[in-house]
Amino acid sequence: MAVIKPMDRTDRRGAGRQILHSEAAFRSLIESVHDYAILMLDPQGIIVTWNPGAEHIKGYSADEIIGQHFSVFYPAEDRQAGKPEFELAVASRTGRFEDENWRLRKDGSRFWANVTITRLNDEAGNLIGFGKITRDLTERRRAEQRYRQLIESVSDYAIFSLDPSGIVTSWNLGAERIKGYSAEEIIGQHFSRFYPPEYLAAGLPAYVLAQAEQNGHWEGEGWRLRKDGSRFWSSAVVTAIRDEDGDLVGFSKVTRDITDRKLLLDQIKEHAAKLELRVKEREQTNADLEAFSYSVSHDLRAPLRAIQGFASALKEDYADTLDATATSYLTTISDSALRMNRLVQDLLNYSRLNRIDIESQPVSVAEALEQARLELADSPGEIAVHVAPGLQVAAHESTLVQVLFNLLSNALKFHLPEVIPKVAVTAAPLDDGSVRISITDNGIGIAPQHQERIFNVFERLHGQETYPGTGIGLAIVKRGMQRMHGKVGLQSADGDGSTFWVELPAVNA
Amino acid sequence: MNDERKFVLLVEDDPNDARLIQRCFDRTALPVQVMRLQDGDEAVAYLDGVAPYDNRVSHPLPCVVLLDLKLPRRSGLEVLQWIRSRTYELRRLPVVMLTSSHHAVDINRAYDLGANSYLVKPETIEQLTELVGLVKRYWLTINRDPRVTVS
Repeated sequence: MAVIKPMDRTDRRGAGRQILHSEAAFRSLIESVHDYAILMLDPQGIIVTWNPGAEHIKGYSADEIIGQHFSVFYPAEDRQAGKPEFELAVASRTGRFEDENWRLRKDGSRFWANVTITRLNDEAGNLIGFGKITRDLTERRRAEQRYRQLIESVSDYAIFSLDPSGIVTSWNLGAERIKGYSAEEIIGQHFSRFYPPEYLAAGLPAYVLAQAEQNGHWEGEGWRLRKDGSRFWSSAVVTAIRDEDGDLVGFSKVTRDITDRKLLLDQIKEHAAKLELRVKEREQTNADLEAFSYSVSHDLRAPLRAIQGFASALKEDYADTLDATATSYLTTISDSALRMNRLVQDLLNYSRLNRIDIESQPVSVAEALEQARLELADSPGEIAVHVAPGLQVAAHESTLVQVLFNLLSNALKFHLPEVIPKVAVTAAPLDDGSVRISITDNGIGIAPQHQERIFNVFERLHGQETYPGTGIGLAIVKRGMQRMHGKVGLQSADGDGSTFWVELPAVNA
Repeated sequence: MNDERKFVLLVEDDPNDARLIQRCFDRTALPVQVMRLQDGDEAVAYLDGVAPYDNRVSHPLPCVVLLDLKLPRRSGLEVLQWIRSRTYELRRLPVVMLTSSHHAVDINRAYDLGANSYLVKPETIEQLTELVGLVKRYWLTINRDPRVTVS
């Protein structure tokens, strides 16, 4: 059975040494590199090797260039400044020199080169020459340039960069426009000068950088200072910039001036707050009024009931001992108390109509009329209702019943003593999508000049003895119709009856 | 306890209203005994049989309670709630609200809490006389009383 022996260390080292010492292999590696110019210089800077990458980048063939001094790659001004010699001196002293700069191709055109020069020693440590690696970064530089120009030309955003300590290292047009500093003025200054004193006292600049460093970025809004000391409301994003090793190399900061928006927003907020306050005040007032009217209706009317009640009781219980005058006085007391009671009730209804929430829902016209008519069962006269049973309007039911009651009650009331009141009620849909309910009487009618004012509160056309009333009934009708988004009107002539009508949105059953 | 005698408990804080209502009851045929209490606490004490109402012979349970809404100390609705939340038979006691409020909120709340009827005090004594006559006829004659004994 064959035994496979593991290769010992000596063998492996031997193999490695073989490759290392195989100059042919090493050369073929370098020869295969296309994107890097790799060449060797002697201690004086004369080119001794040349790879295809070098030919590709710089345009010289090996035959052309080997034996020449490497300073041919430098632009004239750099040569005159002694840069080639300086670079070799640095590499020779420190072992390495690295630079990014313009270099020349064979055809005289420039390219942006990343150059590394390394000192080469013999085994005794004596200088035997230099290795030089050059990369063509022209494309990258152009892209960077374009990017930089783009950033610099942005005027609506302040885009600038900071070093890790917060010193401004770049500055675009937008930054100049928004903050008022030119690039020359501000580069090299600490960015904390953009912060108002109260933010500085709170240590905000350091906090912002610490947050950005910790979380990758920081976003925020706040007041900032312009060069002239004026303030603007900024919206800013600070982003930490790290190199390939993850070390912090600085920050980028993008700032917008959103003062206008901020002021507008503040204004809107202020308005909203005011509005909310007013709504609350109004709600409170309404609640107070509601409580007030509740206690008025309960407490103010109680004594009126007593006055009426005891006057009537007196009249009845002592009928034997009271003469006609005393009896008529008691009747007056009783009637007045009753009138005042109704006045209080009507006023409360009217004021309540201004405050309560009126929500419309489908209401049957016929049913609303029936409810109103029930309340008038004791009043003399005829009410003929010609309304289709299915007809519905959008209304607040109790308000509509009150409106119809008031109109029917008026229709029955205002007639000549010798006439038996006859009232006809009709309801019909109109073309505009509403329903008109008309109440026609055979009463005394209303002269045209009075037709508007009769809807005002306390407006009366007749004395109490002719037609008693509070003067609030039609005001309630008008207000009620307004609250239900309906209309009210009349056709009448003096002495010739009246037709009062109300219109409300129809509801299709 | 006198089962034969019809007895009404009137909880009414306004002395004028109480007197007028009392007068109406007095003037009906077959007068009814009316016990008037002035506030909600008194009403609860009476129904609960607490002194000075602890003698059911002199202070029997009524056939019906006429209960005002706005009362000192404890409102009519609170009294109603107290009655309906008893664990014994008292909770069946017929309660008729008699108040000056015709607000829908009050009416609905009263029925929610278990009122048997809700009547609004009329404007005139003539109407009140008629109303009391109807109450008496309905609640003391036509209506069948539930069994309500002392706890």
